[in-house]
Amino acid sequence: MPPIPGSGLAKGLAVTLRTMTRKTVTEQYPDAQPELPPRTRGVIGLFEENCTVCMLCARECPDWCIYIDSHKETVPAATPGGRDRSRNVLDRFAIDFSLCMYCGICIEVCPFDALFWSPEFEYAETDIRDLTHERDKLREWMWTVPAPPALDPGAEEPKELAAARKTADKLAAQQEAARAAEQTATAPGERPEPEDRPEPGHEPGSESAPGHEPGRAPDSGPGHARPGHAREPGSAPGREPGQEDRE
Amino acid sequence: MTLATAAAHMTAAHTAAAHLAAAPTTGAPEPHGFLSPTGVEIAFLLVGLVTFGAAVVTVTTRQLVHAALWLVVALGGLAVEYLLLTAEFIAWVQVLIYVGAVVVLILFGLMLTRAPIGRSPDADSGNRWAALTVAVAAAAALVWVVADAFRTTWIDLDGPASGSTAVTGASLFQNWVLPFEALSVLLLAALVGAIVLSRRAQPDRSLTPTVSDAPRPAPSGAGPADTAGTGEKADNGPDQADSAERSEGANKANKASKDDKADKGDDR
Amino acid sequence: MNDALDVTLRLLIVFVVFLAFPLIVGQTEHKVMAHMQGRLGPMYAGGFHGWAQLVADGVKFAQKEDVVPAEADRRIFQLAPAVALLPYLLVLLAVPVGPGEGAVGQVVDAGIFFVLAVMGVGVLGSLMAGWSSANKFSLLGGLRTAAQLLAYELPMLLTAASVAMAAGTVSLVGILDAFEWWWLPWQIVGAIVFFVAGLAELQRPPFDMPVADSEIIFGAYTEYTGLRFALFLLAEYAGIVVLCGLTTVLFLGGWHGPWGADGLGWVWTLLKTAALAFVVIWLRVTYPRLREDQLQKLSWTLLVPLSLAQIALTGVVKVVIQ
Repeated sequence: MPPIPGSGLAKGLAVTLRTMTRKTVTEQYPDAQPELPPRTRGVIGLFEENCTVCMLCARECPDWCIYIDSHKETVPAATPGGRDRSRNVLDRFAIDFSLCMYCGICIEVCPFDALFWSPEFEYAETDIRDLTHERDKLREWMWTVPAPPALDPGAEEPKELAAARKTADKLAAQQEAARAAEQTATAPGERPEPEDRPEPGHEPGSESAPGHEPGRAPDSGPGHARPGHAREPGSAPGREPGQEDRE
Repeated sequence: MTLATAAAHMTAAHTAAAHLAAAPTTGAPEPHGFLSPTGVEIAFLLVGLVTFGAAVVTVTTRQLVHAALWLVVALGGLAVEYLLLTAEFIAWVQVLIYVGAVVVLILFGLMLTRAPIGRSPDADSGNRWAALTVAVAAAAALVWVVADAFRTTWIDLDGPASGSTAVTGASLFQNWVLPFEALSVLLLAALVGAIVLSRRAQPDRSLTPTVSDAPRPAPSGAGPADTAGTGEKADNGPDQADSAERSEGANKANKASKDDKADKGDDR
Repeated sequence: MNDALDVTLRLLIVFVVFLAFPLIVGQTEHKVMAHMQGRLGPMYAGGFHGWAQLVADGVKFAQKEDVVPAEADRRIFQLAPAVALLPYLLVLLAVPVGPGEGAVGQVVDAGIFFVLAVMGVGVLGSLMAGWSSANKFSLLGGLRTAAQLLAYELPMLLTAASVAMAAGTVSLVGILDAFEWWWLPWQIVGAIVFFVAGLAELQRPPFDMPVADSEIIFGAYTEYTGLRFALFLLAEYAGIVVLCGLTTVLFLGGWHGPWGADGLGWVWTLLKTAALAFVVIWLRVTYPRLREDQLQKLSWTLLVPLSLAQIALTGVVKVVIQ
């Protein structure tokens, strides 16, 4: 059936009229902060406690915008008669954001999770030299790094968590076995169900669990501890599916 | 100098219109003397001087577009004169047709062909004296006719408007209906003639062998490139038709003839 | 003395309307266009939803340097904005707002002809600007302006003539006095043709080939800066006001309304004019620009036949009802 002549014109008018009655999509940015997704590439934060000065980030950077200075320190042997260990100490870590092209390669390659994306973007300067963010400034950005997004439902557990749980389970099983042995020795009775997923942080010996290095995740940093993140105790707090922390 | 004759023609047309406007006027009361001017008469004279000056500048200026714009002033001045003579309808039609359409058309033509900024020394033609003679003769004849027809008739400006739309319409379709119809036929003939002229290329187009059908033995116009300059005008129709067809079946077209035509297109 | 006061007052009112209404239309265009595109439009100037945006624009324009290109024809270049703007001021004088002598700037006997003639003169300003700028884009813009005016003046005149036939007068006030509600369906084709042709004459989108900013860089106004450019813009928006007012008066019955109380007729006129101005903006937002050949084709093959048909219809009905 041929269309009525002019129906296309009417349709066009209807589209614009309908759009006019709808809510606009304008973000009134300086007045209202934009709602950025948590993985927004705004600025790079440095969690320097995790940095081992391996220089991978500086070497992979396509723009050569990461400057790292360090020196070696000798750590005396922990046990008498042991060998002295040498350790890299970070002297300077700077990212020149006037060169950075926000590719994120440095964050990808960092083997120790010392670099993070933060959605913060308001760091324009009037002097280009001020765009070189030094170590302390990069550390400051860490407070703005949002918690990583939640895993998909049914997704495989992160390796760190799995390893931590394995250790914890083994420990619990040992304790259980010991207690069971004790109880069978005294009185055979009802015994409590073994805790399925004990919180590693409260378990003795869990300090060595690889999934729970102190402060390895930004969420555990001071000022960022979110009370709303109380979840099931098995998952490490750093891996919480926190959402963006800015409205 | 075409502008001069054009201006002369227009003056003729206006005088006829003024004639029309003044036709229904009644004999004026006697106290009007020639040397006792009222405010309207002074205004009429002043506007007339401005109009005349603008008309003179129109034909003497060496800047083409300026001439057209001075023509606007002259025509607008005439409209004001009509207005002062209470012929309101004719005044607005004057503005509508002459300023709104004729001058726009002149400007359009000037801008389409050549619109140099500044003087154009080649704008003068050799027959300026002939043109001047014609213009002066036409003006003298018109002045004589008008002066002879009306003598010392005065328009009564204080009474009911004698040039209002109703009066003009009544006189146009009662007393002057025959010239009006004759003019209509003349304009219709001009219209039909224009259409016929602009459609003359049509039969040529159907006769032209299409480029996409078969490779052509010879370039269109059958003339070598050096004679193309003279034969171009005649070639115009078929050649343009060719170019339209070429755009459809360009890949099939004979390359040699295409190149040849492209050269000619550049020449033109 | 009283007469002089009356004249001064009328001129003053018309002048204020001439300055204020185009700004209102412009501001409405800012906001309506923005919302039709899912935006907010100006939000800052003046504090409340950017109501003073055009005032701010005016201040900005006034501060800019007035540049005349070295190769330009200086006098004509400087005169062109005035030629473009003043006709609309004159036209506003003749548009009746309400019934009676008090609601029109000046009763003009041949109102339709006055209005259309003077509006046609406004285009001369664009032509002068286009030629005198010594810029090829400006020249192209001027050419397109002229071609467009020649094409669209005719349907506009023909449809206006149809209304004049229906009313038996060419006076705008007389037409409104003779208006009956059933003229609306009777003259609807003429109304649409008149409105569309008027849009084209004002070079409003979708008929803005002469100023097509994306291909010939605003056409005739390429070289203009500062106040003179602002005057051209003001002329465009004053043209919208005039066109909408004229369409209202000629085809929509001006001050007549379904429950038109005496003394409130001017409200009807303003409401209808505002609604038409909204339509002008709406069309601009909705439709893409016509190509030059489409523009000419629309006029000569559609609008002119339609307006002739309207005249025939008007004549037939007029004879039948007499």
